Amino acid sequence: MSVKFSILIIEDEQHISDFMYNALNAHGYKATQAFSGKDGLALISSICPDITLLDLGLPDMDGLNIITEVRKWSSNPIIVISARTHEHEKVHALDLGADDYITKPFGTSELLARIRASLRHSNRLNSDTALYSRPYECDGLVIDFSRRVVLIDNMEIHLTQIEYKIVSYLAQSSGKVVTHSALMTHVWGPYSDTENNKILRVNMANIRRKMEVNPAEPKYIFTEVGVGYRLKEDTH
Amino acid sequence: MHKLHIHINFKSLFLTFTLMIASTLLAFCLFELVPDNPANIALVYILALILAAQYTDGYLYGILFSMFSVVCVNYFFTYPFFILNFTLTGYPITFLIMFTITIITSTTTSHLKIQAKLLAEREEIVSKAEKEKMRANLLRAISHDLRTPLTSIIGESSSYFELTDTSASEERDDLVHRINDDAHWLLNMVENLLTVTRIQDTETAKVNKTLEVVEEIVSEAILRFKKRQPNAIVKAVIPEAFIMLPMDPLLIEQVIINLLDNAFVHSFSTREITLTITEDVPDFVSFHIRDYGKGIDPSLIESIFDGTGARSSDTPDAHRGMGIGLSICKTIIEAHNGNIFAKNYIDGAEFTFTLPKEQANDNLTS
Repeated sequence: MSVKFSILIIEDEQHISDFMYNALNAHGYKATQAFSGKDGLALISSICPDITLLDLGLPDMDGLNIITEVRKWSSNPIIVISARTHEHEKVHALDLGADDYITKPFGTSELLARIRASLRHSNRLNSDTALYSRPYECDGLVIDFSRRVVLIDNMEIHLTQIEYKIVSYLAQSSGKVVTHSALMTHVWGPYSDTENNKILRVNMANIRRKMEVNPAEPKYIFTEVGVGYRLKEDTH
Repeated sequence: MHKLHIHINFKSLFLTFTLMIASTLLAFCLFELVPDNPANIALVYILALILAAQYTDGYLYGILFSMFSVVCVNYFFTYPFFILNFTLTGYPITFLIMFTITIITSTTTSHLKIQAKLLAEREEIVSKAEKEKMRANLLRAISHDLRTPLTSIIGESSSYFELTDTSASEERDDLVHRINDDAHWLLNMVENLLTVTRIQDTETAKVNKTLEVVEEIVSEAILRFKKRQPNAIVKAVIPEAFIMLPMDPLLIEQVIINLLDNAFVHSFSTREITLTITEDVPDFVSFHIRDYGKGIDPSLIESIFDGTGARSSDTPDAHRGMGIGLSICKTIIEAHNGNIFAKNYIDGAEFTFTLPKEQANDNLTS
């Protein structure tokens, strides 16, 4: 690529920040570091990074406020860095407009995959919608949005209307987490009872039984406990 | 005790009144049925008096009752009836005896109450001390478990720095690999400790339960376990039916990871580990983690969840003892009103835990 994607890292722990900074620069991104929320906010508005990595546990301000602040004027992806046990915090961050999250501790490959997925989806929004109609493909799974068909190893999988809606929505954000409430709203409408997502869980279980060889060891659809689901990243 | 005398204790007052009425009624019955034996009446009042002294606080109610009974006996049951006559011979003796019984009973019961209180206090102190001891033991065990991998990380990384340029790259890779291993082990340890903090109150062992789909929890647990032990082979068998259970998902995930890890590390076998979910116990769902290794040392099987056993000296990698991991599993499962146990087969070991279904759980809480 001719122009490097810029990434802002807002993280107060020097070691973790340096690790991400080095890894990202080594993989062709242009990373910038901010060690406090205040500096982070200032840098977001001055350099307009293509992507922001935001640690929620900052000493000077609540990371969630940064998301709210940035979302007032920018839709560039924000990936939240959070501890594993804080699932409510993650859901809250996603509801406020964060694109995805990554759980500490994480490896370089995981970090790069998240960044790739978020960049892909933000690019799709910016470019023409033709990209959206290109089929999703990954490990033998093909989802053709224009024909509304799901194929695994060239065998058609028969999904109900609702099931197709769920799978195609996940595919359009492949590699990114999709929260339970986002799925509920997309499939059952804005007035659906997002608190009671049992209907979604049942449909998801049926989808898994149709698409996965062993539902307990899924190849495509992964559960993010307490948060939502993630479809394996599109290999295109 | 003085406060008790000043404050009118309504419970004691009520009890005294009830006893007064009951004993007088009983005395009337006896008076009508067996008029020949007036001793019975006195005995009824004495019995009621003892009860009054025993079950009320302080002396006041007992004395009140003894005066009442003396007057009653005089008024109702001694000739001339329904007239108070304090000139009867031996009357002061009756009164004195009643009064003495009251004082003695009240003193004894007060004494007993004080002693019971002291005993309870002492027990509390002892249990507190025991908890302190347990905490200290746990801290010691954790520190030991944390120090060992940290020591090797420090050792491995410093030998990495001392490597010369001519050293083989496998040697470098090997060192970094071992550092990575140790770090992962430490991480699992810390996550285990963190899960314990999610059980907010260890007294009542309450957990935050949400309805979760069993296969989602199992699949995430296996995924996280595989990240840590890429060489392990796990085979999961789940029922065709859709099962939702109330649980704290992260805690149950941790239990599954601990048991898988235990099966992988301690079986000394490279064969697969199977995770089977069954519904053979009514109102419960059972999770079986089965390995095909050397089995559990029969002498440890009883105490394996106590957090003490697993660090036997014949284990070559003693610092990887799962003592704490298994005891954490037990704490978590018990907080969910479930059961956890281990057993040996001819060709390996099986750890099973059960979780109650929604209805069974409701019964327990309501």
